[in-house]
Amino acid sequence: MTDLRDARISRAQFFRMMGGLAVAAAATACSTNPQSGGTTATGASGAAAVDLKFVGVADQKAPMDALLAAYKQAKAGVSIAASYAPTDQVQTSLRTQLGAGNAPDLHVVYPGSGSAMSMTEIAKAGLLADLSAQAWTQTIPTGFKPAFQQDGKTFMYSAGSSVIGAIYNKKVFQEAGIDAPPTTWTEFLGVCEKLKKAGKVPIALGAQTPWVTQLINYALVPSTVYAKDPTFDDKQSAGQTSFAQSGWRDAMEMYLELQKRGYFNDKPNGTTFEQQTSMVATGKAAMAIQVSAVLPAFRDAATSPDDLSMFPLPGSDDAATVWIPAGVVVGLGASAKGKHAEEAKAFIDFLGKQENINTWAKAVAAIPLTQDASSTIDPAVESFLPFTKDRAVPFMDQRWPNAEVQPTHFAVVQELLSGKSTIDEALKKMDEAYAK
Amino acid sequence: MTLTTQPPVETPPAVRARRARRAASFSPSWWFAVPALLVYAGVVLYPSIVGVFYAFTDWSGIGEGKSFVGLANFRAILGDEQVMGSLGNTLLLTVAILVVQNGVGLLLALGVHAKLKSRTLLRVIFFSPVVVSPVMVAFLWKYVYTPDPSAGLNGLLGLDIDWLGDPSVALWSIAGMVVWQYAGYSMVIFLAGLEGVPKELHEAAMIDGAGTLQRFRYVTWPLLAPALTINLMLSTIGGLKLFDQVFAATNGGPGYATETLSTVLYKQAFVYGKFGYSTAIALVLALFVAAVSLVQIYYLRSREVAQ
Repeated sequence: MTDLRDARISRAQFFRMMGGLAVAAAATACSTNPQSGGTTATGASGAAAVDLKFVGVADQKAPMDALLAAYKQAKAGVSIAASYAPTDQVQTSLRTQLGAGNAPDLHVVYPGSGSAMSMTEIAKAGLLADLSAQAWTQTIPTGFKPAFQQDGKTFMYSAGSSVIGAIYNKKVFQEAGIDAPPTTWTEFLGVCEKLKKAGKVPIALGAQTPWVTQLINYALVPSTVYAKDPTFDDKQSAGQTSFAQSGWRDAMEMYLELQKRGYFNDKPNGTTFEQQTSMVATGKAAMAIQVSAVLPAFRDAATSPDDLSMFPLPGSDDAATVWIPAGVVVGLGASAKGKHAEEAKAFIDFLGKQENINTWAKAVAAIPLTQDASSTIDPAVESFLPFTKDRAVPFMDQRWPNAEVQPTHFAVVQELLSGKSTIDEALKKMDEAYAK
Repeated sequence: MTLTTQPPVETPPAVRARRARRAASFSPSWWFAVPALLVYAGVVLYPSIVGVFYAFTDWSGIGEGKSFVGLANFRAILGDEQVMGSLGNTLLLTVAILVVQNGVGLLLALGVHAKLKSRTLLRVIFFSPVVVSPVMVAFLWKYVYTPDPSAGLNGLLGLDIDWLGDPSVALWSIAGMVVWQYAGYSMVIFLAGLEGVPKELHEAAMIDGAGTLQRFRYVTWPLLAPALTINLMLSTIGGLKLFDQVFAATNGGPGYATETLSTVLYKQAFVYGKFGYSTAIALVLALFVAAVSLVQIYYLRSREVAQ
C-alpha cells in the first residue's frame, strides 16, 4: 500500500483539486444571506418589507426587547434586527462602522458631549438624522436639552433620566440599628461607622471597572460645586474656573476620607463591578454608590430583591444644599446616511409615544422623560424626586468638551485609591485633559 | 574515537533522472504565489500604506472633516506623558516576558525531551494554554488573581496581594499570565531544536567524560541557537504589541500602571476619537518593532554562525 506521504499527484490532478476547492469556496460565499445587510425584500403580506439594523449597548436590551415586540405588532413589514455589546466594544465597532460609512440604521448614542460616541460628536460629523420634526421632541424638559440637542436640533432619543446615589440593603441597615437613610454628610459618616462596627463593609467599591471609579465624585460634586455655583460648566468652558479651583477638590477629599476611615472593602482597585454588585446583593456590604440604571442588575443578584433601595448621597452638611446628579439615560439615534433613514426615524417616533417612554423607563428604573397618569416611578428612586426640579444637575461628563476628560478621571481616581498620587496631581491632570 | 570517511557512492544515472523529474513536479512556478500575494496586498499592504496618510492628519475617525497637520502628531508623541509612560511599561513587560517565558520554555523542553513515560501527555498539557484565546486567558486569570486572601492565587500561596489592583504589582501580574500562556509555545520550538541535536555528539561527549551540565553547555546549547533566535524574536514582537491580555485584565489601570503602547493607541482612536494621532503612534510602534527585530535577528544570526 502506498504511504499517503509518498503519494504523488500529477499537475492535472492538482488543478482539478484546486478547481474543486475554488468552486466550493465560491458556493459558500454566495450562500450568505443577502438580507442581513438591511436590504429591501418582499414580505409575507406582499407589501415591500424593510429590514433595519440596530446596534445597542447591553443596558438597552431589556427595554428594546419589549419595544421591538410591540413595534412588530404596530407596524408589519418593518423588522429590526438588534444586537448588543458592552460599552467598550460598542465604541470600537460602531465608531469603525461610522468611519467606514456603513453605520447601522439605528444605533446607541450617548447624551451630550464628552465621549467618542456622544450625540455632539456624531451630530457634528453629520451622521445623525435630525429628529426635530417629531412631536415628542417638543416636550424635552429645558434642563435636559443640551443632552439631546446640538444647535437647536434634536439628534437623540432617550426615555428619561437616571440618578446616582447609594444603592443600599435595607436589611443590613436594620440589623445595624439604622432606621432612616442619612440626610447630611456627617450623618452619612455616622451611618458608615455604625455599619463598620456591626462587622459589615459599609460601602462596596468596584474600582477595577473603570466607570465605577467616577460615581462617588459624581454623587458629591452636585453639592460641592453646583449647589454653590449652578453656572460652573459655563465658567469652566470660558476658562474662568477649573477643576483645581472648585469644589471638585472637596469632593475628592471626601472620597478619600471614606477610604481613610476604612469604609470601603479591601483592595477596591482589584474589585470589579460584578463583585461590588454581589457584595451588596448578598448583604456582605451595606451599600454601593451607583447609578440607578444598574438597580435591575443588583436585584437580579439578590435573593430578596425587595431588600434593595436607594437614597441620595448627601454631599453637604446642610440638607437644604444637598444636590443630586440626574443624567439622561443612554439613548439612540438614526443614521443620516442610511438607505432607510425614514423608516428608522419612524421607529424613534414610535419610541417617543408616552406609553413607550414609560415602558423603557420602567425597564431601566429611570424617571420617565415626560409623565402621564400611567407613568410609574420605581419606588427605589422616589426619594430623589424632590430634588429633580431644581436641585439636580446632569452627569458631569455630558458637558465636558472632549472624550479625554472622563477616562482621565477614571485613571486619577484609581491612582488616588492606590495612594500613588495626590489630589493636586489628579486635578491638574483633569484640567490638562479638559484643555485639550 | 575514530572517524572514518568513506568515498561517496556513485548514484546510477537512471535514479538521478527520476529524482530530477520528481523535483521538477514538486517545485511550482512563482506565479502559484500570485493569488496569495494579491490577497495579502489587498488586505494587508494597501490598507497599511493608506493608513500611513492618516498619521499626518487630525481625522476624528468619523465624518469627512480632516486637515493635514504635517508632523504635529509625531511631535505631540514626544511630549505625551501617557505614551512615554506606556513605552516604559511595554519595554519592562517585553524584557520580563522575554527572559521568563524563554527560560521556562527551555526548562519545560528539556524536561519533556527526557525519556519520561508520560512525556507526550505532558507536552500536550504544557502546550494547551497556547490554543486558548488571550482574552479568555485574561478573564480566567482575573479569577486566579482575585484580591480575596482566601481564594485564587492568594489562597493557594497564603498571600494577601492585590495582584491587579496594586500599581506596583499589576504589570508583573500581567507578565505572569502571558508567560503561563506562551511558555508552552517556546517549549515546542526549543523541543524541535532539541530533536535536531544528533545523538552521536552526545555519545561522543559522554565518552570524552562530559557530565550532564557540560553536555548541555557545549553540545545542546550551541545547537539550539536557531531555535533561540526564533523564540527571542517571537517573544519580543509579542511583548511589544501586547494588547488583549492587558485590555481584558486591567484596561491599562490602575491609573496608567499597565498601559502599553497598543492600549494607548487603541484608546486614542476609539475612546478619545483621535484617529490621526493614534495612527501616528501605530506607525511609530510598527517602525520600532521592525527596528528591534532587525537588530535582534542580525545579532543572533551572527551568533549562530559564530557557533
